[in-house]
Amino acid sequence: MTSPSPGAAGQVGGSGGHTADDLLASYADGAVDGVLAWSVEAHLTACAQCRSALSAHVDSERLARNRSALLVRAAIGDGGRAHRMLRCCGVPDYLLRLLAATPSLRRSWLLSVIGVLAVVAGEAAAVGYGWIPGGRSAGPAGYPAPAVLAPFLLVAPLLVLAGVAAAFLPMFEPAYWLAVAAPFSGVRLLLVRAVSALTAALVPAVCAAFVLPGPGWLPAALLLPSLALCALALAAATFVDPSAAAVIAGALWALPAALLLATTNVPLAIVQWHSQSACAAVLIASAVVLFVRRDRFQLGWMR
Amino acid sequence: MNEDTAAVRVDCVSRRYGATRALDEVGLTLERGITGLLGPNGAGKTTLLSILATVNEPDAGRVSVFGLDPRDGAERVEIRRRLGYLPQELGYHRHFTVAAFLDYVAILKEITDRHRRAEEVARVLAAIGLERYARKRIRALSGGMRQRLGIAQALLGNPDLLVLDEPTAGLDPEQRLRFRELLSDLPGDPVIVLSTHQADDIAAICPNVIVLLEGQVRFAGSPSGLAAAAGGQVWSADDRDHGAHLSWRGGDGRWRHVGDRPPADAELVAPTVEDGYLMLSHAAGVR
Repeated sequence: MTSPSPGAAGQVGGSGGHTADDLLASYADGAVDGVLAWSVEAHLTACAQCRSALSAHVDSERLARNRSALLVRAAIGDGGRAHRMLRCCGVPDYLLRLLAATPSLRRSWLLSVIGVLAVVAGEAAAVGYGWIPGGRSAGPAGYPAPAVLAPFLLVAPLLVLAGVAAAFLPMFEPAYWLAVAAPFSGVRLLLVRAVSALTAALVPAVCAAFVLPGPGWLPAALLLPSLALCALALAAATFVDPSAAAVIAGALWALPAALLLATTNVPLAIVQWHSQSACAAVLIASAVVLFVRRDRFQLGWMR
Repeated sequence: MNEDTAAVRVDCVSRRYGATRALDEVGLTLERGITGLLGPNGAGKTTLLSILATVNEPDAGRVSVFGLDPRDGAERVEIRRRLGYLPQELGYHRHFTVAAFLDYVAILKEITDRHRRAEEVARVLAAIGLERYARKRIRALSGGMRQRLGIAQALLGNPDLLVLDEPTAGLDPEQRLRFRELLSDLPGDPVIVLSTHQADDIAAICPNVIVLLEGQVRFAGSPSGLAAAAGGQVWSADDRDHGAHLSWRGGDGRWRHVGDRPPADAELVAPTVEDGYLMLSHAAGVR
């Protein structure tokens, strides 16, 4: 707090060294500007008589409302450390509150994702590095055999898709009808949740890819298939039931990926340039469809 | 009801679910004040209310809310800005506290300012008498308290149109009385439409009542008008008359009969809203 100006101090210490009654009334109404308000407050802390005089001007109903609002804010809480950190990064408070209702951002979900990734990546790493028998680096160019990485490459994008699906499927939103009947944009709510869930699942998937044997671009190569799958599921949900859309997207990944891994001799074919190009094309096409058909989410994304 | 000044107008609205016709060319108007919707299970009440709440689309017909057309995207959002909706089966994020859930719904209602949200949540908590439970997790609430929480969320933002699907279900008698008081005290004279199975709720607080039977409006008028539908057809007697449409023994030990023929030694009594509803249901062949 800066020191009050002499002029302000003069107004505050009016007759008899006390704050004038009309100034106290203005202060109680919130009509006093910054410097003068500070002067009044500084005086009030030291003057019981002026504090007593001020109470006559205070709107008791407003005080009660403020008290109730403060109690409610205390009951709501600040969302914990993660919310505080994101708020510091400029994420609006209300968006963080909306995310609190996203199941795939809850600790239990994230721990499950990390657990599954740890199993499939751990197994691939153990075999790939020769810690357990299973065939170290049987593929060409020193890469591990496709069979070693296959479970991880299959599962990681599906886990990302599952997180995004949980963020937009009505079955995971108990207050679905309220969300549909509310004026808050359905598309915006959907995208905020989907992007957050995508990020939350992608981070551990990419981190797990770093510990695997194989080419250094493997973690980056997981991004496009994951993004494409999620965009495809969202775009498909504008045509069919959202659950069916998620299943279709998952199947469109799992079946060709399994086929490629089972039949081709090209190591890590699903993260080679032609597969990446196909994923990029799907991502762009899905984004266009999603933009064009975004109104479908306004009426309720169940329809 | 005055057709020209109606706040909500429903014209020839139909809605099917597969082979089931939930609404069959329903037409009605709603004015400011409370309108009660009576009907048996499966009569189409929930479908009608969900269409008024813009979460469901009619297959045919037209709906206008405050002159706005919910088929238009921008106008639909405008209706939702003025809407408070309590669905029949409201789900909750059970890990939320009462205050956090209301805060969440307030954000969905576009109240994004943190302080204003807190004030609004505090206001509806006080209105519904849940202030003491603000910190309580929803999973720890009783069914009645959850229903009150559902009503509280509908009141957020002082809506102009309040659509309440069976709001008194699960409330104990005292809470039902408090609910009536709450609706009567709402500021701004909103349009309130509520469905219920409780005819006494209708008689107590609704100046207007609509009876929906098998997807069709069979009555629209005042509660006294509905009661009058059973005028001259409600009798009190010492013995049961098996020819009556419905008969039951009252608290005074006498049998109350609803039917078009008087039993022997019967005394004609004044009909209630419930009697009128029973007569309409019987006439429509609904059991």
